[in-house]
Amino acid sequence: MAATKQKNLWYVRQARRKRRFTTLLTVFFILVQVLWVGVPIFMTVLWSLVDPNHPWSFPNILPEKLSWGQWMYVFKYTNILRALKTSYTLAPCAVLLSFLFSLPTAYVLGRKQIPGKKFFQTIVLLPIIMPGMVVALFLSRVFNAFGLAQNFFGLVLAHTLMGLPYMIRVLTTSFEAIPQDVIDAAENLGANTFVKIKDIFLPMVRPGLLAGMIFAFTTSIEEFNLTFIIGTPTFETIPTILYSFLGYNFIRTNASVVALIMMIPNIIMLFAVENFLKSDYLSASLGKL
Amino acid sequence: MKKLLVMMLAMCMLAGVAFAAGPSIDLKTASWDSIVAAAKAEGSVTFYAWYFPDYFKEAAADFEKQYGIKANVIIGDQTANFNKAIAEKDMQTGTIDTMIVGGQWVKTTTDLNLFYGPIRNILPDASKFSNNSWELQEGVLINGYLAPFHRNQTGILYDPDRVKDPPQTWAELVAWINAHPMEFGFCDPSKGGSGQSFVHTAIGALAGGLDKYKGDKELVQSKVANWDQVWKWFNDNKDKMTITVSNNDSIIRMNGGELAMTVAWDDNVKDMISKGNLFKRAKMYIPKMGLAGGGDTLGVLKNASHKAAALVWINFIQSREQQLKKFQMVGAYPARTDMTIEGTLLTEEDRKNNAIPWFPAPYKDFMIKEFVKNVLMK
Repeated sequence: MAATKQKNLWYVRQARRKRRFTTLLTVFFILVQVLWVGVPIFMTVLWSLVDPNHPWSFPNILPEKLSWGQWMYVFKYTNILRALKTSYTLAPCAVLLSFLFSLPTAYVLGRKQIPGKKFFQTIVLLPIIMPGMVVALFLSRVFNAFGLAQNFFGLVLAHTLMGLPYMIRVLTTSFEAIPQDVIDAAENLGANTFVKIKDIFLPMVRPGLLAGMIFAFTTSIEEFNLTFIIGTPTFETIPTILYSFLGYNFIRTNASVVALIMMIPNIIMLFAVENFLKSDYLSASLGKL
Repeated sequence: MKKLLVMMLAMCMLAGVAFAAGPSIDLKTASWDSIVAAAKAEGSVTFYAWYFPDYFKEAAADFEKQYGIKANVIIGDQTANFNKAIAEKDMQTGTIDTMIVGGQWVKTTTDLNLFYGPIRNILPDASKFSNNSWELQEGVLINGYLAPFHRNQTGILYDPDRVKDPPQTWAELVAWINAHPMEFGFCDPSKGGSGQSFVHTAIGALAGGLDKYKGDKELVQSKVANWDQVWKWFNDNKDKMTITVSNNDSIIRMNGGELAMTVAWDDNVKDMISKGNLFKRAKMYIPKMGLAGGGDTLGVLKNASHKAAALVWINFIQSREQQLKKFQMVGAYPARTDMTIEGTLLTEEDRKNNAIPWFPAPYKDFMIKEFVKNVLMK
């Protein structure tokens, strides 16, 4: 009797310890999120609302007066509306094209044994390893030669190029993770190539595909160098305006406004995709949901 | 079919040549009225800048109202603007017609032969600007290729609540730095002109004055032999000063309380105050030890497709009305010498007595490289 009581007590203590550990981890996670994400966003919001006639200066902890003055300035004196339109038309097109280009590449790299596979997996990452302006300067020659500068299709192609490495890398990993048993089972049951693509490959790579899409989308939204070199003056995107306040001529208040304009739709999209990701086909197929 | 293709190709080439050739008149000999007429026929001008979006947007609207020519203003980043212009240098027709040329890009762009000109003899108001500003910018001979459009001056910016008796001489500044470690800042000279100006003054104070470099077209090694002692001073005092990453960064750090005194450009300071990025109590002066001034210029790209419109735009920006408007909106001091301005951050007396010219470009280039090598990388 006493031994059973002792054992129960031990279980209770263990459970408590686990709960405490989970609480500690949760608090740590929240703290990191607040410091890492919350504080910068809060500061950005505050700086974007600093009244132009009441600077936020030392030793004031908070701005003296808040107003929409900085927002009005950005909307009045920059081409932000034109840039917003271009950015959010360009990004979905670049994501779609990245998907179409990367699907066959990722399939081969993920499922087939080809000579030099590791080499090709590294090569596709080159556009993100090299400095953006270097890529832009070299590519601008090619784009100019083929008449792709100053036109929308050229810009889509340029953004696709910058998003492709992420898309290929994530999709390759997703293709690699599909268990061969599932494919074999489908084949034994008479599934043809189309059925395999529709019912096995696409659903199972969907989480990876969505992650790749997020990367490709945000890369496109944030791309500056190529857009500036081959797109302006015909096209301006949000980063081309952001850099005018963030680069050499750093003006924190205006930069904060443009950064928020760029950030808000991205955050909304991230939450939407996160919701969509909840149905994890790969786990479901393995009975782990 | 083949014939049709050949004809189409020939037509395209002819159109290309005609387009690239720009206006049919010779701009260097044509009357100003015919240049304006050619500009109106071109219909638009594309202008690249990296600051004052408010002023340039309003100027573009005024320009369109006055001439019926659309001014497409692109506010980019300084380095990106020049990278783009250089990337398009060998194209028959570029996408930029005219652009601001910042001090640190004068030498590179002049060496690359990027601009059309000389434009000094074309612009009707050229005589209203100092001879020197048409000939020499940042110690580089520009021979009338670049048009002055505002003057700016570096000075010492300080917080009067923390600096009661701002230093005037080098010895006073050194004493102040020793008494207030890390509260004085200047920008990395490879990142901004205000830092270059401070190092330039330091060379004058520590290496036997600046007069000996005057008129040199090439760097004379014997004249820079004693610059080692300048780098030694910077290394010995590096822990007592703050080196910032840009002109604006120095101002931002002062606003945040990190710095009490810094070297800055007067127009930058005015702009930052008007946008709520610097406290209004800030004061600025040119110390007796001297600090250099300069000014940005405008250039017409050699492969611009709207050269006449670009010239009319430059003339418009140089006009009395626009020079005044620019000063009123963003505090940029006019480059014209035929107008007096009130309400400046720096006094006329300071400008007259304490503003000093840069030493020639080869020394400035050398100074930046040597500072990075001997101070920043040590």
